[in-house]
Amino acid sequence: MQAGIILKILGILLTIFSTTMLPPVLVGWLYGEASLLPFLNAFAILLSVGLLLWMPLRCVRRELRLKDGFVVVFLFWVGLGLSGALPLYLSPEPSISVTDAVFESMSGLTTTGATLLVGLDELPKSILFYRQQLQWLGGMGIIVLAVAILPMLGVGGMQLYRAETPGPVKDNKLTPRIAETAKALWYIYLGLTVACATAYWMAGMNTFDAISHSFATVSLGGFSPYDASIGHFESPLIEVIAVVFILIGGVNFSLHFLSWRSLSLAHYLKDAEFRAYLLVLGTVATITVAYLTLTSIYDDFWTALHNGIFQAVSVGTTAGFTTASFHEWPGFLPVLLLFASFIGGCAFSTGGGIKVIRVLLLFKQGSREVMRLIHPSAQIAVKIGRKPLQDRVIDAVWGFFSAYVATFAVIMLALLASGLDQISAFSAVAACMNNLGPGLGQVGANYADVNDFAKWMLCLAMLMGRLEIFTVLVLLTPAFWRR
Amino acid sequence: MSWRGVLRILGILLMIFSGTVLPPILVSIGYADGQHWHFVYTGLVILALGIALWLPLRKADADLKIRDGFMVVALFWSVLGVLGSLPFLFGLHLSFTDAVFEAVSGFTTTGATAIVGLDRLPPSIPYHRQQLQWLGGMGVIVLAVAILPMLGVGGMQLYRAEASGVTKDEKLTPRITQTARALWTIYLGLTLICALAYWIAGMSLFDAIGHAYSTVATGGYSTHDASIGHYDSPLIEGIAIVFMLLGGINFALHFTAWHRRRPWAYLRDPEFRVYLLLAVGSSLAIAAVLTLESTYASAGPSLRHATFQVVSILTSTGFGTAIFAEWPLFVPLLLAVLSFIGGCAGSTAGGMKVVRVMLLFKQGERQTVTLLHPRSVRFVKLGRRRVPEEVMQSVWGFFSLYMLSVVVLTIGMMAAGLDLESAFGAVVATINLLGPGLGEVAGNFATVNDAVKWMGVFAMLLGRLEVFTLLVIFTVTFWRP
Repeated sequence: MQAGIILKILGILLTIFSTTMLPPVLVGWLYGEASLLPFLNAFAILLSVGLLLWMPLRCVRRELRLKDGFVVVFLFWVGLGLSGALPLYLSPEPSISVTDAVFESMSGLTTTGATLLVGLDELPKSILFYRQQLQWLGGMGIIVLAVAILPMLGVGGMQLYRAETPGPVKDNKLTPRIAETAKALWYIYLGLTVACATAYWMAGMNTFDAISHSFATVSLGGFSPYDASIGHFESPLIEVIAVVFILIGGVNFSLHFLSWRSLSLAHYLKDAEFRAYLLVLGTVATITVAYLTLTSIYDDFWTALHNGIFQAVSVGTTAGFTTASFHEWPGFLPVLLLFASFIGGCAFSTGGGIKVIRVLLLFKQGSREVMRLIHPSAQIAVKIGRKPLQDRVIDAVWGFFSAYVATFAVIMLALLASGLDQISAFSAVAACMNNLGPGLGQVGANYADVNDFAKWMLCLAMLMGRLEIFTVLVLLTPAFWRR
Repeated sequence: MSWRGVLRILGILLMIFSGTVLPPILVSIGYADGQHWHFVYTGLVILALGIALWLPLRKADADLKIRDGFMVVALFWSVLGVLGSLPFLFGLHLSFTDAVFEAVSGFTTTGATAIVGLDRLPPSIPYHRQQLQWLGGMGVIVLAVAILPMLGVGGMQLYRAEASGVTKDEKLTPRITQTARALWTIYLGLTLICALAYWIAGMSLFDAIGHAYSTVATGGYSTHDASIGHYDSPLIEGIAIVFMLLGGINFALHFTAWHRRRPWAYLRDPEFRVYLLLAVGSSLAIAAVLTLESTYASAGPSLRHATFQVVSILTSTGFGTAIFAEWPLFVPLLLAVLSFIGGCAGSTAGGMKVVRVMLLFKQGERQTVTLLHPRSVRFVKLGRRRVPEEVMQSVWGFFSLYMLSVVVLTIGMMAAGLDLESAFGAVVATINLLGPGLGEVAGNFATVNDAVKWMGVFAMLLGRLEVFTLLVIFTVTFWRP
C-alpha cells in the first residue's frame, strides 16, 4: 500500500469538496439569512486540511494499485461523511450532536435519506439546501464508484461488466479511464437533474423546492425540505414526475449512455436487467394497490392507486420519498415494501440494495440447480441475455449475497443489544443497508429517538451497503495488511 | 416417471407404517384410557390403503430412478403426515387442520404443537405423538444419510461416497436398505440408553420412554405442557442436553465411530468441531447476557437455562425449560439465528446444517482473498478434502432458496394476520423444525388461524425435505418426459 499517494488523493478530494460549501452560502444570502458563518468556517477548515494534505505530497506520482483502490474508496466515503457533518454541527440551528451530524451527513452522501431532524419546514434554507446537495453529490460519487471503480476491484460479481466499459484493463492501473467514463455519465446525471427540476417547477413547485427535490430524486436519496416529504404538495402531477425520475435514476447509467449516444430506446428493452427491474416494481405496485383497495384504507380507488404506486416505486428503488406513512399501512405491506428494497435498483444506478442483476443471477442459478437435480450429468450454463456467464462471476454474486445477509444479521443483533425492539431494529438495518431511508416502528418517521450507539451502527450499515460490503470487509482481513 | 414403482413403494411403506399403531394400542389397554379402538381404526385405514396401492402393482419394476426418488420422498412425508393425524381426529376430535398440523409437526420432528392441556390427555394419545417423532427421526436418518446424498440435494452429494460406496448407476433401492439397518441399530441404541438414563434420573417409565423418543429424534414433543421444565431437575436437563447433542451429530459419523471402533473419528470431523464450538460458545455468551441483565437470580441458573436452550435450539429440538422469546435484548434473535444453522448434516436436526454454513463462510473468505489476488486460483477445503465447485454451487442454491422461502412464508403469514415478529417466529419455528417461535407462537400454535397452520405444515415439509426435494416437484422440467 502506498500511503503517500492515497493521502494526496484524499487531500485533492477534500479541497474540491470544500467548495461545495459555497452554494448553500449563496442560497442563505439570497434568503437573507443571518448565520452563514457555519458554512464559511467549514469551507475554511476543509480547504486548509485538504491543502495541508495535498501540498507536501503534490510531487508524489505513482500509479494506484488494487489495494490502494480499496483504501481510497473507503476513505473517500468516510472522509466526506465526516467533513460533510461539519456545517451541520457548527450551525446553531438545528443544534445537534456530533453523532447526529455525522448520521445526517452520511445518510445524505450515501443517498440513504434517513433523517433525524424533525421540524424541517422551519430550518434555514441554507441548511435544507445543503442536505439536498449532499445527496446529489453522493449520487455523483456513486455513479463513478459503481461504473468505474467497483468493476475494476471485482466486487460482488461486477467484473461482469468489466469488458463493457471501454479502455485497457489488463494491468492494475486504475486512474486513466475513470475520468473519461465519469465525465460522460455526469453529463447524463446533470441533464436528468435539470430536466427533473424543470418538470417539478412547471408542475407548480417554487424554484427552491424544484431544485432541491430534483437533487434528491435523481440521486434516489429521498431527503426533502419538508417533514411530509413529497406528500407536502398533495399533487398527483408532482408524484407522477417523481415516479418517472425515480425510475430513470434506478436504471443502469451505462444503459442511458448507450441509448443517448445512439438515440434509440432499443437498448433498454433488450436489457434483461431492465426488464426484470420493471417486472419486480410492477408486481410490487400491483400487490400494494390491490391490497390497499381491498382493505379500503383510502376512501377511493384513485388515492389508493397513486399512493400505492408511488410508495412501491419509491421504496422498491430505495429512494425513500413518502406521500403516505407506509409504515402504518396494514398487514404485510410495510414488510413487503422493505423486502422489495433489498432487490433495489439496477447495477450502476444510484439505487441501493442487492441490485436487480444480482437477484436475477441468483434466481437463474437457483433454476440451474433444480435442473441439475433432475438431470445430474447435464452441463448447463447460466446466461444473461445470450451471454453465458463464468462460474467465477456467479461465485462472486453468491459471496456477495451471503455477506449481505450475514452483515445484516450482525448489525441487527448489535441494534437489538442496544435496546431497540425487533421491528425497529430489523427495519432500521434494512432501511440503512439498502440505502432506503424510512423504516418501520420506532424509525418509521425519523431516527431522532434512536440511541447514539445504534446511530453509529446504522452509519456503518449505510456505508457498507453503499460500498457493496466487500470493499469494507476486505479491509478487515489480515491478508489485506500483509505485505 | 414410473408412477407404478412409486405407488408400489408407497403402498409397502404404508403397510409397514400401519404396524406402528400396535404400541399405542397396548399403552391404551394398559392404562385403560378407552382410546384403543381409535388406534385400531387408524391401523386398519392405513393398512387398507397400503394394500390397495400395493396389490395391483406388486409386480411392478422395483427399480427407482432419480425422479421417482424425489416423488417417493415427498409423498412419504406428506402422506404419512396426514395419516398420522387420524388418532387426533378420532380420539381428540381436533379439527382436520389441527390434527394434520400436529401429525406433520411430529413426523418432521419439529415439535410445534396446537394442543394445550397435554397433561390431561388419555396417555395413549401423547404416546402416539412421541412415537410419531421417533418414527419421523428414523425416516430422517435414512433420508439424510442415504437418500439426499444420492439425489444430490443442496450439496449433500459431498457425502455420497460415505453412503457405503459410490453410485455409478441410478438405482436407489438396494443399498438404502443396508445403510438403514446399520443406522437404525445406533438410533435404537441411543434411544434405549436415553430412556434408561431418564428413568434412573427420576422420570416415570412412561415419561422416560416418551421423552427418549423425542430427545434422540431432536423432535421436542413432551407429555407435559411445561415440557422438560415440568421436572425442574438439573440432572434430567443434563441428560437431555447430552442426548440432544448426540441426536444432532451426523449418524454416518456415529456409524464410523461405533461399528469400526474409532471414537476419535468424532474429533477429526471438522463439522463436529464447529458444532460443538457453536454450542459451547453461544451457551457461555447467552449465560453472560442473562447474568448481566439479571434475568435470573445468579450466574448458576443463567448458565443452566442458557445451555439447555442453546442446545435445544441448535439441534432444533425445541424442548423448553424457559420461554426464550421473553429473554432480553438480542438473545431471542441470536437463538433464532442458531436455529437457522441447526445440527450436523445426516442427523435428525433441522436448519441449514452446520456443514453448509461452514462452506458458505469458507467461500466468503475465498471471495475476499480473490478480491486482493484476482488471478489466484483457490479451492474451498473441508478438513483435507477439496470441495468440488458443483457442491459449492448447490450449497449456494440451497442457501438462497432457503432465504427466499423464509421471506415468502413470512409475508404469507403476515397476510394471514400475524404481526411481523410472530410471523417470522412461526417461520423460524417450522422451517428449521424447531417448534417454539417468537411472539404469539412463543409457546404453541393454538391461537393462530388455519391459514397460518397450513403454511406452517408446508414450511415443516420444506425444511425436512431440504427445500429442493419438495420444490423440484413443482417445476415444469420435472414433469417433462
